[in-house]
Amino acid sequence: MIADLLETSIIISVLAATVRIATPILLAALGEMIAERSGVYNMGLEGTMLMGAFTAYIGAYYTGSLWLGVVIAMITGGLMSLIFAFMVITLKVEQIVTGLALNLLGSGLSIFWLRAAFANAGQTPTTPFFDTVPLPLLSDIPFLGPILFDQKILTYVAILLVPATWYFLFRTRYGLELRCAGENPKALDIKGLNVAARQYAAVIFGGLMAGLGGAFLTVGSAARFVPEMTNGRGWLAIVIVIAGLWRPVPVLLATLVFSFLDALQLQIQGIGVAIPYQLLLAMPYVCAILALAIRRSHSGAPAMLGIPYWRR
Amino acid sequence: MIERLGFRIEPRSETTAKGRALAVGVALAASLVLCALLFLAVGVSPFAAFQSLAQGAFGTWRAATETLVKATPLIFTGLATAIAFRARLWNIGAEGQVFAGAMFAYWCQSALAGNSAWIQLPVIVLGAMVGGGLYAGLAAILKTRFRVDEVISTVMLNYIIVFALSLLLLKGPWSEAGGFFEQTAKVDPGSILPILFDKTRLHLGFLLALVAAAFVYLMMKKSPVGFEIRAAGSNLRALEVQGTNSRRVILMVMLISGALAGLAGMSEVYGVHYRLKAGAITSYGYTGIIVAILGLLNPWGVVIAAILFGALVNGATFMQIKTGVPSALIYAIEAILLLFYLAGWAASSFKLKRIKP
Repeated sequence: MIADLLETSIIISVLAATVRIATPILLAALGEMIAERSGVYNMGLEGTMLMGAFTAYIGAYYTGSLWLGVVIAMITGGLMSLIFAFMVITLKVEQIVTGLALNLLGSGLSIFWLRAAFANAGQTPTTPFFDTVPLPLLSDIPFLGPILFDQKILTYVAILLVPATWYFLFRTRYGLELRCAGENPKALDIKGLNVAARQYAAVIFGGLMAGLGGAFLTVGSAARFVPEMTNGRGWLAIVIVIAGLWRPVPVLLATLVFSFLDALQLQIQGIGVAIPYQLLLAMPYVCAILALAIRRSHSGAPAMLGIPYWRR
Repeated sequence: MIERLGFRIEPRSETTAKGRALAVGVALAASLVLCALLFLAVGVSPFAAFQSLAQGAFGTWRAATETLVKATPLIFTGLATAIAFRARLWNIGAEGQVFAGAMFAYWCQSALAGNSAWIQLPVIVLGAMVGGGLYAGLAAILKTRFRVDEVISTVMLNYIIVFALSLLLLKGPWSEAGGFFEQTAKVDPGSILPILFDKTRLHLGFLLALVAAAFVYLMMKKSPVGFEIRAAGSNLRALEVQGTNSRRVILMVMLISGALAGLAGMSEVYGVHYRLKAGAITSYGYTGIIVAILGLLNPWGVVIAAILFGALVNGATFMQIKTGVPSALIYAIEAILLLFYLAGWAASSFKLKRIKP
């Protein structure tokens, strides 16, 4: 059995699955990273992703276009996070509690809407979903090709977002201002720059990405929507941002570790190793706690993360 | 923008009780309107829907007791959340602690099956409290010893325990012999919580929930423990300076919170379903968070909010039969209610101040 796992073709399939599984989490985590860099903890990520997954599915079903589904999911994610931003930035409600409310909203609204839309159907209808798009030449590279360059377009987008968010955060003026909103909002305010506007933008970007990540779960890889199908991915994304020290490349690495566990789990189940599948499924959550418990550095968090800014 | 009009928004030094009550009222009204719009969206007259909802919840004696049956676990989880939130400990883990309580109670009780109810009932109550408390205590230790944020750890623990239960139930040591479903066999009759009134399903768990509410009320109001909890909520640092060990307070709050949540699991398993299965104990933890917040983190407020939510759950089933509106609607309504309340409450904590004549 172990020998089976070490065969090249299996390794390639596990690693390719890792990259695929990483896509929705990476999208959500990078968005959350930007939001948290501006000082706002979006704990509503799970519900935002779930609504993204649902609206992508229902959008693709009614419009017949997968890409329209993706756009609708992003808009929904943006709207969810707009509610969140209004509540925590303008009204200064506790960020954790607001996030929970959004999670419950996403869960309730998606189940209700699903039941209302397909009340008379025995089973919810299926939609098509995206195919992989092998990149010419690159996908022919042995070993790396099938792992990295035979993926779906949204996966390429997610990977490209890693250098893009890095460049934005650390090499542009806007990125600097955004980080300043999270570290020292008062300095920004004294310069006459609007703290709230930057936080709104960052949170909404996070919502767009969470919506996109959610969309990948339905139109990106499955033919239908299942209630609660995000299954903790939004929360894992939040853990990944912390474990990734609020930096794009470590966030990518952390995402890959978690996705690898999941991919391995699928493969082990596939070849029928006699480990109870529940143990394998619980692995990412156990590892999330361990990752936070054993991390050596507790720095890296924006100084004002989670603390609303008051102009005094 | 407002400043150009000569006003500034400022936080009030403290929110008045009137302001809070107003916020709850406005939230209820706004949610009703939104609810009506959702009914219209699915093509049902809001009037008929609300009527069937109320009828299903309180229409008959049996319906009313059924509402209390549905409220029972929510009182426990609402109290659990209220205590933790009072101390500003964000225990999101009532969901998992409900599971832990039910599982530990089942584990203890199944070893004693056949004994008299006088032995089995105390065992399930204590077992549930220990199970829920230990699971919450795990999050407390992760927080105090390893600096793992309790929001994250409790959420992760919520996911983990679902798999643990499934492991025990699906072809595991607890699975029903020859059974097809992921559930235990029926529990021993001696361990069932007695029914309070004939021809209803209202069981002893409801009384226990009221006792728990009274206990929490007295603890918060009269005991030094309650003082420490409230002090931890307003200023943990000051408490430390004064010489109180904040780690001990955190552990204590989580143990009490988890024990209360654990009782919800026990009460559903031994009061309603008579067997342990995930479906019997799911979602009470998360709903309990809404119940706690809408109950103003006050034990009697929690009881009222839990009964309101019990009525919603109970009425929604009837509404689905009568009007065809999916009963899942209430989950959306609950979240909308919470959002409106939070917004209303926050708005009531601001005041407009003239800054220029």
